[in-house]
Amino acid sequence: MAGLFLWFNNQSKHMTISLHEVVPVPLKEKLLKQVSDIWNREIVFTTPEWIKIKAPSGTGKTTFIHSLYKLRTDYTGSIQWGERNIASLNAEELAVLRQQKISVVFQDLRLFPNLTAFENIELNRVLQTPYCEKEQITVMAQMLGVDHIMHQPASLCSYGEQQRVSIIRALVQPFEWLIMDEPFSHLDKVNAGKAAALITAACKERNAGIIITDLHDDDHFDYTRKLVL
Amino acid sequence: MKGLNILLRKLIKTGAGRVRFIMAVIGLSIAMVLILSAVQLQSNYNELLRGSGNRDSIANFLVINKILTDQNLKNTTLSDAEINDIKGQSFTDAVGVLHSSRFKASIQSSSTQFPFYTDIAFESVPDSFLDVSTKEWYWDESSNFVPIIVPGMFLDIYNFQFSLSQGLPQLTREVVKMIFFQVNIYDENGMSHSMRGRVVGFSDRISSLLVPQSFMDWANQQYGTAGNKAPSRIIIRTKDSGDPGLAAYLKEKNLSTDQDKTRFSRYRQVVDLVVNISGATGLLMLLFAILIFTLFIQLTISSCKDEIKLLLTLGASPKQIARFLMRQFFPSNLIIITASLAIVCILQYLAHAVLQRQEVHISALISYPTLLTAALVLFFIWMVNLINIRKYIKINH
Repeated sequence: MAGLFLWFNNQSKHMTISLHEVVPVPLKEKLLKQVSDIWNREIVFTTPEWIKIKAPSGTGKTTFIHSLYKLRTDYTGSIQWGERNIASLNAEELAVLRQQKISVVFQDLRLFPNLTAFENIELNRVLQTPYCEKEQITVMAQMLGVDHIMHQPASLCSYGEQQRVSIIRALVQPFEWLIMDEPFSHLDKVNAGKAAALITAACKERNAGIIITDLHDDDHFDYTRKLVL
Repeated sequence: MKGLNILLRKLIKTGAGRVRFIMAVIGLSIAMVLILSAVQLQSNYNELLRGSGNRDSIANFLVINKILTDQNLKNTTLSDAEINDIKGQSFTDAVGVLHSSRFKASIQSSSTQFPFYTDIAFESVPDSFLDVSTKEWYWDESSNFVPIIVPGMFLDIYNFQFSLSQGLPQLTREVVKMIFFQVNIYDENGMSHSMRGRVVGFSDRISSLLVPQSFMDWANQQYGTAGNKAPSRIIIRTKDSGDPGLAAYLKEKNLSTDQDKTRFSRYRQVVDLVVNISGATGLLMLLFAILIFTLFIQLTISSCKDEIKLLLTLGASPKQIARFLMRQFFPSNLIIITASLAIVCILQYLAHAVLQRQEVHISALISYPTLLTAALVLFFIWMVNLINIRKYIKINH
């Protein structure tokens, strides 16, 4: 009983993500002709939902991720993190929320080419009060089979290696939501499975939600909801 | 925080535009030395002009009398109205009346080894106008000697002209102060009344034989012949003897003062010129140096545009990055200004040592206004840096 109460209590603290009739301006004409579970609808994501968004090419998958993370704002409607319309967040507030509540794996990975793989991960760990110990990076790198390239500049790593590094980078910070844009696109099935297991553990530990986009159906996670963009 | 800074240092290279940076450092250093020197010079001048207890503070005090012409012979006294008018002028801080003795007097040696005799007259002036401070400057009817202050110039004339031509020994100030002599005062009937006298100090400010006011009042009442005559000379304390208004006033009222003191207005012109040139040049250089620093900051930030953008994307706050950049840029400014301040400190100490030998006393330490100026410039640069950094980070966001 006490455990259940704690669980509920924990739920209420976590931030929801909601979309209110969001339509990206550049895709407006095209999208309004299609049927979508996301665009131009009222949607609320609540932790610990694990949501799969299947998105055929050209439906605005990356646009959706970037809008959700406030990298772009060229849409109509509104997106809310908790009670706040993210359009109203200033740079400092946005930084705090990105440090504490929302972690991201970009499709284009976005590592610093001049830093080593390890430093890329470490940077995100020390950007705020560290969530985990430094040693944890090596442990995770070993689990994903990238420990041998940890001290190479990121620019010299293969796409598959960079993708795993960027997944680990997303997992060393505190978060309530993990947003991933085709996180396994450069990984084979075995490695994708290892990465999914690591992500699952990290999200369960934080009681965090997942929003993942991909082109195809998959069973990497125990999704609570599957949507089509 | 430390870990983050190490990583940021790898990402945001401040090496770009090193030449520009060195130029800015040199420019700022010279500018700071010039500006601080200008402020210090002004402070030193003010200290000389206004400081109390400074032997060279003669500039503060002017003895004023009417210009003697054929028309006003025997009529050179200053009326109360005239004195009040002077009191009312903006350049006047205080006015003291020089009372002259209205009795005949003489002094003579009480020693046969060193005989001398001379008729003299005394003046007295309020104590606050004296540049001699000694406990012996006191007289009442029970005193056993009359303290006298003599113009320093008198002893110089004796030592360097008179004694040489007469084959007399030269006397130091200390020796003169030890000699007691006899002071004779004659009443209306010519009867002489003797008392002991001794020189207790030398004045470089008032060229007159001075006795304490209390003695003068007593002796004038006791032996004075004429009535309560108005004074012929007054002494004023002024904020600035180089004040052009003062010179104009004296000319207009046919008054004169020690010509020598006009040199201070010439000094002032020189000081003003040096302060203005050095201050203006310094200020101009400061502006250019800050401009170059600004360009340097701008260059650094724009050369790391992509890195800063990705940092912000990953959740680094603009404040975190600004704080890091401030740490990269500001310490060099702090060092430059501290070093400039140190240079001015050394210069001041050297100036103090050199001037000391010429009996001009300026402080061995730099003044508060100089420190304040350094602090203000530092604050200004800090603000400019911060504003620039924030602005350019925002542009990249």
